[in-house]
Amino acid sequence: MKNREFENNHSMLNEESEWAVKELRDGLEKLDEWHPVTTPNLQWFQQQVASEKKRIQKMQWKALFSFIFVAVLVLSVVIAVVYHQPILFLYFQLAGIILLPFVLNRTRKKVSNE
Amino acid sequence: MDDKDLIQKAKKGDTLALSELLQQNYSFLINYLMKVTLHPQIAEDLTQETMMKSIEKIQLYNGKSKFSSWLITIATNLFIDQQRRKKREKNWLEQEQALRKMKWNAANMYEEWTDVLDVLARMNEEIRMSIVLKHYYGYTYEEIGKMMGVAEGTVKSRVSNGLKRIRKELEKHEES
Repeated sequence: MKNREFENNHSMLNEESEWAVKELRDGLEKLDEWHPVTTPNLQWFQQQVASEKKRIQKMQWKALFSFIFVAVLVLSVVIAVVYHQPILFLYFQLAGIILLPFVLNRTRKKVSNE
Repeated sequence: MDDKDLIQKAKKGDTLALSELLQQNYSFLINYLMKVTLHPQIAEDLTQETMMKSIEKIQLYNGKSKFSSWLITIATNLFIDQQRRKKREKNWLEQEQALRKMKWNAANMYEEWTDVLDVLARMNEEIRMSIVLKHYYGYTYEEIGKMMGVAEGTVKSRVSNGLKRIRKELEKHEES
């Protein structure tokens, strides 16, 4: 008896859901009718693709140059320090080793909060 | 040329092949965005953004899903990010304005506005997207979960709760 009641309720729920889904589909189909889409021609897409590729290439070159610039700068500073004041270089290394766990811990906390 | 050839060529850097792929999927993409944003301007802007992103990321497309599904995955995530950045109040106002404009458009075409679109517009975007993807486009819960970056169970509960809300609100509208 209880089972049949459950089945009846369940099928009623399904029927109601089907009704809601049908309303939903009809409503969304209307949207397509009200806002017909005009697809641009192939040339337009080619222009978009070409200009985007150009932009990406430009961005990649920029990133590469800034990376090389920073790398050369850091290396020059390190070499200059090592040759002129080696003790200062050792201090930097020591400070780095001491600070590393704190920096890593902070980053881990940030990630776990997200 | 079929989709597979076009995709292979596009991945190798063929501009024409990628353009053809984008042209073939343009109306599908904009129609999808129209349904989930319920805002013609945002739908157009996001279509443009999605295309740009797909040009940038075409190398990462692995061909496991349809190209159109890959595009709507990008579009879905762009929309979610955009909504998170915007303030809720501003969002609501924008949505109301867009709805008013769409209703006006429908009236101009002598068409009757459907209440279900009002209900959808008042819903949280992530619930709305899950419902549209499941019940209009027919994706599985698992596929939707992957698209939106959430668990399958989360999608199931979003769809089920959303559908319950649609049913209740439509019943209210019918009674009044």
